[in-house]
Amino acid sequence: MNHKENQRNLPDWLLKDENYIPQSDKDQFIGKSILSILRILSKIKSQSEYKTDKFHVNAALKVAFTFLLVILLSLSTSYTFIFVVDVYLLVVLSFMDGKEIIKILSVSLAMAFFTFIILFPYILLGNTYTSMIITLKVLSTLIAVNILSHSTRWNTITGALRRFYVPNIFILVLDITIKYISMLGDFSLNMLYSLKLRSVGKNNSKYGSIAGIAGTMFMKSKEMAEEMYAAMECRGFTGEYTVRSKWKLTIADFIYMLLTIGMIAAFILWGRI
Amino acid sequence: MHIPDNYLSPSTCIVMGAAMVPVWAIAVHKVKKEVTRSKIPMIGIGAAFSFLMMMFNVPLPGGTTGHAVGGTLLAILLGPYAACIAITVALLIQALLFGDGGILSFGANCFNMAFIIPFLGYFIYKFIKDRTKSEKGEYVGIIVGSYVGINMAALVAAIEFGVQPLLFTNSQGQPLYSPYPLSISIPAMMIPHLLVAGVVEVLFTTAIYTFIKKVSPGTIFEGAKQKIHTIYGLIVALICLTPLGLLATGTAWGEWGADEIKDVVHGGKQLGYTPAGMKNGFSFNAIMPDYSVKGLPEIAGYILSAIAGVAIMVIIFKIISSFSKTKPKDISNES
Repeated sequence: MNHKENQRNLPDWLLKDENYIPQSDKDQFIGKSILSILRILSKIKSQSEYKTDKFHVNAALKVAFTFLLVILLSLSTSYTFIFVVDVYLLVVLSFMDGKEIIKILSVSLAMAFFTFIILFPYILLGNTYTSMIITLKVLSTLIAVNILSHSTRWNTITGALRRFYVPNIFILVLDITIKYISMLGDFSLNMLYSLKLRSVGKNNSKYGSIAGIAGTMFMKSKEMAEEMYAAMECRGFTGEYTVRSKWKLTIADFIYMLLTIGMIAAFILWGRI
Repeated sequence: MHIPDNYLSPSTCIVMGAAMVPVWAIAVHKVKKEVTRSKIPMIGIGAAFSFLMMMFNVPLPGGTTGHAVGGTLLAILLGPYAACIAITVALLIQALLFGDGGILSFGANCFNMAFIIPFLGYFIYKFIKDRTKSEKGEYVGIIVGSYVGINMAALVAAIEFGVQPLLFTNSQGQPLYSPYPLSISIPAMMIPHLLVAGVVEVLFTTAIYTFIKKVSPGTIFEGAKQKIHTIYGLIVALICLTPLGLLATGTAWGEWGADEIKDVVHGGKQLGYTPAGMKNGFSFNAIMPDYSVKGLPEIAGYILSAIAGVAIMVIIFKIISSFSKTKPKDISNES
């Protein structure tokens, strides 16, 4: 009885069955933007999960060695040396977690494959040497750099740059950037989600909204910068930035240095055959 | 446009990195002077913004998506010097921590994306904006600036690729780095950039600029009126690029010598003769014939000729402008 009474009071349009099928609309670009931002964020957030550095090797040494390896690889003209480096990289990889190995290899192999595709016409012209050696070098370099970024906490990498006399202001800016990529990323991710959720059916103003999101992100970033400076000043920031850390070499460091010397020797022996 | 390692030779990377050092030094100096200390976090956050902006995908015809670099936009919003530092930091994080773009080729990537795009884009924008008083002029400036900026960067990247096989080969003459010559690398880079990436950049830049201008006009960087210095930088860059002319075979179009003109191909046919007026006409012996100076290596001769040429142009323009100095100075935009 009560139920029927209620039905009589409701407006007609509420009682009608509606078969609304939203028109399909292309929103691939929103999905792609969300994915690429998520990828960045997950990589930054996974940083905080690392308990300690994997190999207990000083970050400055690791950065220096990786740079050296990249230079030697680039200078080398022989398969032998690249093979030696690859063996070393595979050994290092084998000590890492399965998940990390997948991440490192998938990124590196994708880029190496892309390089191979670019150089493929050159193979058809009959020059396999150039195409193969460049592809291999790209692969080895990427694995080396990705091992560094996956096995070392990023704040120790930026701290290591200080040892190479990179100006304070750059390192400060670098640290702020990493922090705010994750903050601004979160912020714009939410806006992208809401754009996706609110675009039911055909929404032609979606393209304009992407500009709105990026624009809002810029204004938000300006606001954040001002707040951050106020907070820094309250805590006594004077524009100077010092790193306090002790420089202590462990046995692992010495083994690592021996490896470095071995790599240079390998380069001298076979690098430019 | 992120060049990975091993596409360019280490020496190219060193040259490009060395070219960036003065740019960075000037940018840091300028930012310190222009921007108060309270803006230091702004550069870091601007870098985060530029990093994230490259993650935004824009729909393209045919169902694909692309992303913009946003160099010109950042230069318009933050000023070219702050934009240069911000993009540099974003590129460094990409290279070091995300493996996107090489470590050795970092200098080259910075030259293309943190120097050419923001400075050239901003200069063109400012040049057009200051000469047209209407809002339409401003938007024309943004469109032309962002389009030319990204395409110029692509062209420079293509040149960096294209000179590799000419300069760096092993003992058997096989190229060690990017093997494609300029005749392949330039069209391969330029066609997608002229048709697609440039358009994406323009759309993105104008759309975001329009939004910010509407919502919060006070946040946009107001550069001083006189921005002539930027052109000097560009001229220097062009001078450095002149030796590239050495790599081209043949003579520049329209610059044929009397002995060359009979080989000029027009409409599929060779000209086959030397116009009489050219054969017996006035032959001017320049001080530096064919840009080579005796006793100097050819490249040095080229650079010297270019410097002399620019100096002469500047002198001529200064003389002309000294005659028309009666124009009133515009101070409306100074702030």
